[in-house]
Amino acid sequence: MQTLAVVLALLALAPFLWLLLMSFKTNAEIFRFPPRLLFDATLANYAALWTSEFRNSFGNSLIVSVASTVLSLVIGVPAAYALSRWTGRGGGTITLWILASRMAPPIAFTIPYFLVYRHLELLDTLTGLIVIYLTFNLSLVIWMMRPFYDQLPRSLEEAAWIDGATMWQGFYRIILPLSGPGLAATAILCFLFAWNDFFFALILTRTEAMTAPVAVVNFMNYEGWEWGRIAAGGTMIMLPVLVFSFVVRRYLVHGLTGGALKG
Amino acid sequence: MAPSLAVLALITLLPALYLLATSFTQLSLTRPETQWDFSQPLESYRQLLSDSRLHNSVWVQIKLSFWTVLLQLLIGLLLALLLNMRSRLIEALRTVFLIPMVLPPIVVAIIWKVIYTPDISPMHGIFRSVGWNVPALITDPNWALTSIIIADTWEWFPFTMLMVLAALQMMPQELLDAAKVDGASPWQLTRHITLPFIRGVLLVAGLFRLIDSIKAFPLIFILTDGGPGNLTEVTNYYSYLQAFNFSFLGFSSAITVALLAATIALSWLIVRLVGWGSRVD
Amino acid sequence: MNGPNRRAVLRGGAGLSALASGVLSAPAVIAQGKPFAGTTINASCFQTTFFEYLKNYFPQFEEKTGIKVAFTMQAFPVYNQRTDLELSTKGSALDVVNATFIYTGRWIGAGWLTNLDTFTKDPKMTPADWAPEDFVAGTQSAMQNAKGETFAFSWEGGAMIQAAARYDLIEKAGLAMPTTFDELIKVCEATHGKEGVAAFTADKLHHWNWIPYLMGVGGGVFKAPPENLTPTLATPQAAQSGEWYANLLMKYGPDGLLSYSDDQAMRSQMSGRANIRTQSITWMVPLAKHAESTVQKTVRYGLMPAGPAGNFSGCNSHGLGIPAGSKKKEAAWEFIKWALSKETLAMVVKDHGYPSVCRLSVINSPEFKNVLTLNGQDVASLYLEVLKLGGKSGYMKYRTVPVYPQVGDKINKAIERIATKQQAAPEALKQAQAEAIQDLQKAGIKVDS
Repeated sequence: MQTLAVVLALLALAPFLWLLLMSFKTNAEIFRFPPRLLFDATLANYAALWTSEFRNSFGNSLIVSVASTVLSLVIGVPAAYALSRWTGRGGGTITLWILASRMAPPIAFTIPYFLVYRHLELLDTLTGLIVIYLTFNLSLVIWMMRPFYDQLPRSLEEAAWIDGATMWQGFYRIILPLSGPGLAATAILCFLFAWNDFFFALILTRTEAMTAPVAVVNFMNYEGWEWGRIAAGGTMIMLPVLVFSFVVRRYLVHGLTGGALKG
Repeated sequence: MAPSLAVLALITLLPALYLLATSFTQLSLTRPETQWDFSQPLESYRQLLSDSRLHNSVWVQIKLSFWTVLLQLLIGLLLALLLNMRSRLIEALRTVFLIPMVLPPIVVAIIWKVIYTPDISPMHGIFRSVGWNVPALITDPNWALTSIIIADTWEWFPFTMLMVLAALQMMPQELLDAAKVDGASPWQLTRHITLPFIRGVLLVAGLFRLIDSIKAFPLIFILTDGGPGNLTEVTNYYSYLQAFNFSFLGFSSAITVALLAATIALSWLIVRLVGWGSRVD
Repeated sequence: MNGPNRRAVLRGGAGLSALASGVLSAPAVIAQGKPFAGTTINASCFQTTFFEYLKNYFPQFEEKTGIKVAFTMQAFPVYNQRTDLELSTKGSALDVVNATFIYTGRWIGAGWLTNLDTFTKDPKMTPADWAPEDFVAGTQSAMQNAKGETFAFSWEGGAMIQAAARYDLIEKAGLAMPTTFDELIKVCEATHGKEGVAAFTADKLHHWNWIPYLMGVGGGVFKAPPENLTPTLATPQAAQSGEWYANLLMKYGPDGLLSYSDDQAMRSQMSGRANIRTQSITWMVPLAKHAESTVQKTVRYGLMPAGPAGNFSGCNSHGLGIPAGSKKKEAAWEFIKWALSKETLAMVVKDHGYPSVCRLSVINSPEFKNVLTLNGQDVASLYLEVLKLGGKSGYMKYRTVPVYPQVGDKINKAIERIATKQQAAPEALKQAQAEAIQDLQKAGIKVDS
């Protein structure tokens, strides 16, 4: 049983491993058939990438992902808390809207944002991306943190309220410090989703604000000879993702399905 | 609290309404005068109904969604059953299986572009060495959609696998023990006890994958550009072409509104099934 | 120039971007003879040899003017789509763009490009000897609007010629360069597969490659462009020609041909895997000149084959223009002025053998003839001949209608469907016709019913 599992795992990973290997090959080596198991590994592809505009786009991805995470948390965590303590009706509708806006095809938001950004001169800017990333990250934060707060007994802040604190003071003093683990996982998930985005960046950026996924695709357009760089670019893009995903692996499914089942 | 929710409404609800409004125009960016021209509000929708390429895209979408969801459920289920053991190795393997799902979708597209390009593909190489002269799959009309289905399934099977695994681990051991005492074979155990138990999870996982499959973009963008012909052109992709290749934003908005409506309907289904909205105390 | 604008304010402190547009578009820094010192302009074009060659001289340009050029290239369809999208926003992300032949009508008509007459008519910006009239009229006609105002200057005359990478195989079969469609098939039939070489190759831009063959049998894309844009894709000639062309591709082309970009098709000839191709001269000359070409000695050139209705060799032009929303138009004009000056073009021709320039003074120079004498053939006169052909009856007008990109897309898909046997030619083209009419109506154009 265990060997079968290992074999299957290797098979499943094979495509990904192939790309990884390719990033260390020269173009001549890539086209060689049959491929050699032991070849002269080179870092030339990575060096070429790092000295080109790809470095800028990588930096752009970093800035946008971090900023989007911070912004989403700042706006979303209080909202999640408020929703959790909401006693009025309409909670179901809000839940539906949050799920729908996360699952909606990106083009649904790209069209209106594109039209409006034209007038606000936000096209091809990092700010523009950060704002539109809120459409999925804000919902994600509320998604993840609300059940977390649901499970914190009200008695905690009620004690503070009795002492005369307002709802928000109770939140800052008592609830927020307890939010640690949930916040960490949520933050990393926000970062990942922002980092992985392709469609928004494709349409809304041009040269200045281009992010790494779009930059890699530019190499692809030379069809047929930048394979080494494409592989290196792809590897560079996926490295942060792999590292962070490993850290939050327990929360991955939860993040993707919001507690339908705990991952 | 109101400010936070107001922000959410501002950035999601308002744009959605703007999208709806645009769908009532014939906006084309080469003719700016069309932006606020609501004289024929249903014209774009009328065009939807008569556009055979759109109908084809819906059909392609149905095929894609059906096969990817089915395969992801099957493979996810089988792997979950296989990995539902307690051992260090299996725990480690489970993490390894996660990789396809967490990779940026664009990287997944690149990986499969490499695999499907005969000049540099290990797969084609293997085929050649056993004498099979396999043509490029992504330009072959019989294999183009299948090649996308394969890539998509590879990307997302960990999702269903994880969900089923989690459910399996919540299954009470006593149920299985009791049945084993009665002499049930492993197959009967699976069929009569395990499967019914996880049926709900399979349904929810399937629904999530279904909604997500509507968003399919990077794979098609990188691998086939909707081709050959229109064989892999799903509705989302067609909408993208209309909006950002041809600047027919009015028409594209109408298509997108239809997609959004489908998304909302499916989301509603999920919310009902899982019982959210009712507070968890 | 511009003071703080909304964009700079909204971006706040986002480093590099703010620097690039805010500070640098501030009142010009007057340095000695270098009024634009420190400016960077963003230029873009589809991937093509001309700018690869030109890039070698960018340091000279920077030395002379102080302007840095950030030049990006993408594959042809991707470049067109992204630039079209960018231009539609009237944004300032790009300062110099390539005005692609099939998009000039659309971009000029929508007012997305800058009128360059203001630069050429101003003696302070452009010296008289730069001579805008030196550009071939045929190639410039697409770059002008109805009033005759110029919006781009052509850098490429895409004159379609024929090149046989392995002419030796044709000779061995006892044949010569085909001059008619029937001869083409005969030659392909006789040479396909010899020494592992495919007889024919092409790229997937059927909306450019197929049309000469369509017109050669009396067909056409529109009834009478640019006035009457009723598509004529469902005619018997179109069906017959579509079938013929798809057959040519699939029977005599290399594996995977349907996904070939321009560059891949050229590589298939350069590496000796394929023989005949009919495409613009820019893609043909590297066969004889490129360092990586294995067919330098065996390549021969000729006019495109003609059909019963005549020779309709494709002829297009691409030009450099300035987006309407650019914030560095003067600097952008400096670049265009330099890139398309007589001296720079002569340099590119001499050092790299680039064939498709559009300045008469360069084309008629002995240097040009010299450089374009390939394997003993006078390819320079071939080039001129096709340019003249295109200008004569104006059969290339179909390409300048603003909706050609959409209609071209329908043609591409139809040929793909025919070639992959999903549909027979009549059905596929009927579908293309119906879809094209739909798109034309969406664009507000009336067609005959």
